[in-house]
Amino acid sequence: MELAHFWGILFISLHAMVPITLAAIGETIEESAGLFNIGLEGILLLGALAGALGAQASGSAIIGLMTGITIGAAVGLIFGVISTTLRGSQLISGVGINLFALGFVALMLTVMGAPGFHSVARDVQVPLIHLGVGSLSPLVIVTVILAVAVWWLLRRTQLGIWIRAVGENPAAADVAGLRVNALRLGAAIAAGAFAGLAGAYLSVDWFGAVTKEITAGRGFIALAIVVFSGLNPLLALLGGFIFGFFDGLATWVATYPGVKDIIPWQFVAMAPYIVTLAVVAGVIGRVKFPKALGVPYMRE
Amino acid sequence: MLPSSWRRRFNPIAESLLAGLIGLIIGGFIMLAFGYNPISAYRSLFFGSFGSTYSWAESLANATPLILTALTFAIAMRGGLFNIGAEGQLYVGALAAVAVSLMHLPSPFNLVVSLLAAMVAGMIWSLPVALLKLGRGVHEVISTIMFNWIAHFFAFYLIANVLTDPKRGERTISIVESARLTRILPMATLNSGILISLITVAVILFFLWRTSAGFEVRAAGYNQEASHYAGISLRKQVLRVFLIGGAIAGLAGAVQVMGRPPYYAVMSGLPQLVNLGFDGIGVAMIGRNHPIGIVFAAIFFGGLMTGGRIMQFDPGVPFELVRVIEGVIIIALAVPELRRLISRFRRKRKHEN
Amino acid sequence: MGEILLEARGLSKGFPGVWEHLILDHLDFDVRAGEVHTLLGENGAGKTVIANILSGYYDKTEGEVLIRGNPVNLTSPRDGLAHGIAMVHQELMLVPAFTVAQNVMVGLKAPALSFGLAQVERRLDELVVRYGLQVDPRARVEDLSAGEQQRVEILKVLFHEPQVLLLDEPTSLLTPGEADQLFVVLRAMADEGKGIVFISHKMREVFAVSDRVTVLKLGKMQGTCHISETTEDELTRRTFGETVPDYMERPAVSSDAPAIEVRELVPKGLGSKAPATGMSFRLRRGEILGLAGVAGNGQTELIEAITGLVPPSGGEVWILGEDLTGKTPRAFIEKGVAHIPERRREIGIVEQMFVAENVALKDYRKTPFSKKTVMNQSEITTHAQKIVERFNALVPDLWQTECRILSGGNIQRLILGRETWRKPPVIIASHPTEGLDAKAIRHTWELFLELREQGSGILLVSEDLDEIMSLSDRIGVIFEGAIVGIVEGRGADRELLGHWMAGTTSEAA
Repeated sequence: MELAHFWGILFISLHAMVPITLAAIGETIEESAGLFNIGLEGILLLGALAGALGAQASGSAIIGLMTGITIGAAVGLIFGVISTTLRGSQLISGVGINLFALGFVALMLTVMGAPGFHSVARDVQVPLIHLGVGSLSPLVIVTVILAVAVWWLLRRTQLGIWIRAVGENPAAADVAGLRVNALRLGAAIAAGAFAGLAGAYLSVDWFGAVTKEITAGRGFIALAIVVFSGLNPLLALLGGFIFGFFDGLATWVATYPGVKDIIPWQFVAMAPYIVTLAVVAGVIGRVKFPKALGVPYMRE
Repeated sequence: MLPSSWRRRFNPIAESLLAGLIGLIIGGFIMLAFGYNPISAYRSLFFGSFGSTYSWAESLANATPLILTALTFAIAMRGGLFNIGAEGQLYVGALAAVAVSLMHLPSPFNLVVSLLAAMVAGMIWSLPVALLKLGRGVHEVISTIMFNWIAHFFAFYLIANVLTDPKRGERTISIVESARLTRILPMATLNSGILISLITVAVILFFLWRTSAGFEVRAAGYNQEASHYAGISLRKQVLRVFLIGGAIAGLAGAVQVMGRPPYYAVMSGLPQLVNLGFDGIGVAMIGRNHPIGIVFAAIFFGGLMTGGRIMQFDPGVPFELVRVIEGVIIIALAVPELRRLISRFRRKRKHEN
Repeated sequence: MGEILLEARGLSKGFPGVWEHLILDHLDFDVRAGEVHTLLGENGAGKTVIANILSGYYDKTEGEVLIRGNPVNLTSPRDGLAHGIAMVHQELMLVPAFTVAQNVMVGLKAPALSFGLAQVERRLDELVVRYGLQVDPRARVEDLSAGEQQRVEILKVLFHEPQVLLLDEPTSLLTPGEADQLFVVLRAMADEGKGIVFISHKMREVFAVSDRVTVLKLGKMQGTCHISETTEDELTRRTFGETVPDYMERPAVSSDAPAIEVRELVPKGLGSKAPATGMSFRLRRGEILGLAGVAGNGQTELIEAITGLVPPSGGEVWILGEDLTGKTPRAFIEKGVAHIPERRREIGIVEQMFVAENVALKDYRKTPFSKKTVMNQSEITTHAQKIVERFNALVPDLWQTECRILSGGNIQRLILGRETWRKPPVIIASHPTEGLDAKAIRHTWELFLELREQGSGILLVSEDLDEIMSLSDRIGVIFEGAIVGIVEGRGADRELLGHWMAGTTSEAA
């Protein structure tokens, strides 16, 4: 394998890392606070759509990304309200969000012209940084920065203590004077914003288009990565990169002459999911979760 | 007022109806936003679903596999587990049924073996999920999704390479005539598969509430600690729930393939199979995870699908809106005591006025 | 004694639908600077509720709360803290994964992005010295013993320099030695001018630490007086309404057949409390062995090991002459072990299931209730009806009502019925009469004696020393995961038992 291939795979891996890691970072905040959002996949999808529309309407990629963030935060807010104030089932509302997103995005694509596909104009996509060996999206760097920032937030700030307290023992936090539901709601909005950004990245940056299948289970892979990382955003970065590597490898194999005749592309496409499964299975025993994860809190 | 036992049974039904209403209302708003007339759209929808014998037949045909995939999810929920792997389990079931056709068995063995093979395939696909949960503590949400995607690509592979119809490359061989499910109405898709679904409903109903195994599943779903204290093996319930669920989902896949004219085959891209698993989850939720509720909810969903196509013709509302409505209904169902919230809100408004 | 720091006037609280009577019935209560005011009452009297209202955790239904004479409406515990009122709950409200200092940080009012861990640790070091509470601020809470965790709770609250401190059964997890240390600390705080409200149901503590005593019974005031103006007997009478029952007469133990035999048993989960050698004791058929001890000394873990709930780390468990060490709960149940659990709502029944289903919770597999996995509805119904009648459980119906809505007492009646109807050879009863009214307690005791006569071996684990002393043929004391000693029940020396429970040796021994 030549050096060019190495750089090619590396860059694809980094780009594939971005959406999963962003979603995972946001969900890490949320799970630290005790909420479990299956609906990440749906938020990713809605973020992709919102990002594409926002970018096109405004002519600016940045606005597109901001639109994705906003829509993601809004869905996160809905999820948060249902899970906290309304004491609803997090699993059910998450599934509902996924179904809604699937339907809504498909609906919009049909309405907008070509059912199932919509491309974002070249000039509105996020500009890449051209290094000698390839082009890197600035969002890769943003992802790394955010991973460090969220790690610092959770482990080295007062707010981090509050968030984690609410996830471990909401009754104790309540008695200590914390506003449990408010903190959880904030975490849910943050997770939504991160997932929305991840989705917008898919349409406005990486793929440059919106399709019904654009998320390809990445929301769930992000959930797996949160498990793998033990709620540590830095490890989520690593996990995202590992998955991105397999994702990139799959793309490379599918196009590299010679290899694609030996290994059917379908098996390569399966690889990331098998790897995720293996990693999660191997790691679970050692991971400690917040005690109150997934359980709505009520006083008295 | 109604006796408390009646009220207890009626509450979940009322909540589902209310959630359904909310879904339709919000769907209506979305239609308005896109410039469609919701009244005429809903009229098309409902007449298209249940307006004629033909549309009833189509709706029931749509409901057939949904009943089964919903049961898969519901049984797991009753056991306190989250099995969203019906999607993958039904793909392998469908392909297993096709594979049996390759064996050219005499009829009626053909039919029976196909169904059994599908159930076994579904179980093979759900067993690892249970084992991973028991052995490594892997949350079934993550593992079932991974297996769904693995099945997805595996199915593509089989369709394109192993079970391909030599004459038509984009689909598998057709199920042999002797193994096909007979049509009930000419010109409609409705076939004897609906009987298979209803029989399964009866079996599961009996299982959950009249057998000691079902008792254990329900107890474990309500309270693991108490069940352990009572001597119930929690590990056994995990296996039970996933194996039974997998078998039923596999059956759903088989029923779809063996009953769908004109080709009775699995197309590449899996158009007749895709999303049956996820829609089944929605059906189960609206049906409150109860076999009888699931039948009604499946007919409702099946009707939406039939009527949705008519709605697309006139007044032109895209079919995908149906799934949007489904999503809203489920989100509404996530809120417990929805009715109480709304009545409390209305009482507050009355006080302020 | 100084000015009135905190006062309640006409305070009422009702939980509509859950309780038949008002939890608090128009109470007047006050705390003054420099005093330790004890709230005395049995379980369910309302002591915890009034403290929760005064500290801001609960809302009141009626009445007024005044701080230094000014009426206030406390909306939350934080609000209470801001007014100088702090409460230490009976249940530990800690985050186990955090260190002591981090736990204190949870309740801090500080900017979101700051991180004052170092300052908190330093301040905690000071408080530890000032009040003599032995705790390492940098230790992780989950690594600490129950007694140390209790101290952390107190430290957490002292951090905010409250004027009024409410402590709900603070010695429930402490040995008598640690409790005495606590009393010294409380006295020091009172002398500083603080007002202390001390909730208890243990007579000894009341006389050890109080200035004034208020007795509550079923939400109503039974009187307030200075501790010097009353006696133990009088307070007991006011609190419990009856004289303490004596040893119940019964024929001697006739058999020597073993019911439970425990050899060098080391139950799992004792953590730092695990002793070097395991526990050993024997329960015979037709005998009641009472196990006394302060909660948190390993009783729960022992029961888990001898019922199969949690396999032990070491040692052996023999039931009716068969080695069942580490087997599943099902094996123990099949052998004939009945278990009346401490947490009746959480594990004794499945709340969402119906009465008939819960009565059949352990028998559903056996004929005639089911045959080849198919359940026989009518047999289950008939049986449930019999149990309900024989044990006087008040239930609206058998197949329509979820057990969730039943009162604790009725749930316990169902559990007693279910566990004892087969006259099991081995019964393990954990706090079986907690929260029951006097009549129900009496019935339960009589039931146990009857079962004993019919050959059941009963292991009675209870915090109520009076209950143990009335019922047991032999009494053992468990302390820090070890059986300290076993004596004859008849004529047992209460003081000796108390010493064993405290881990001290009496001069007489």
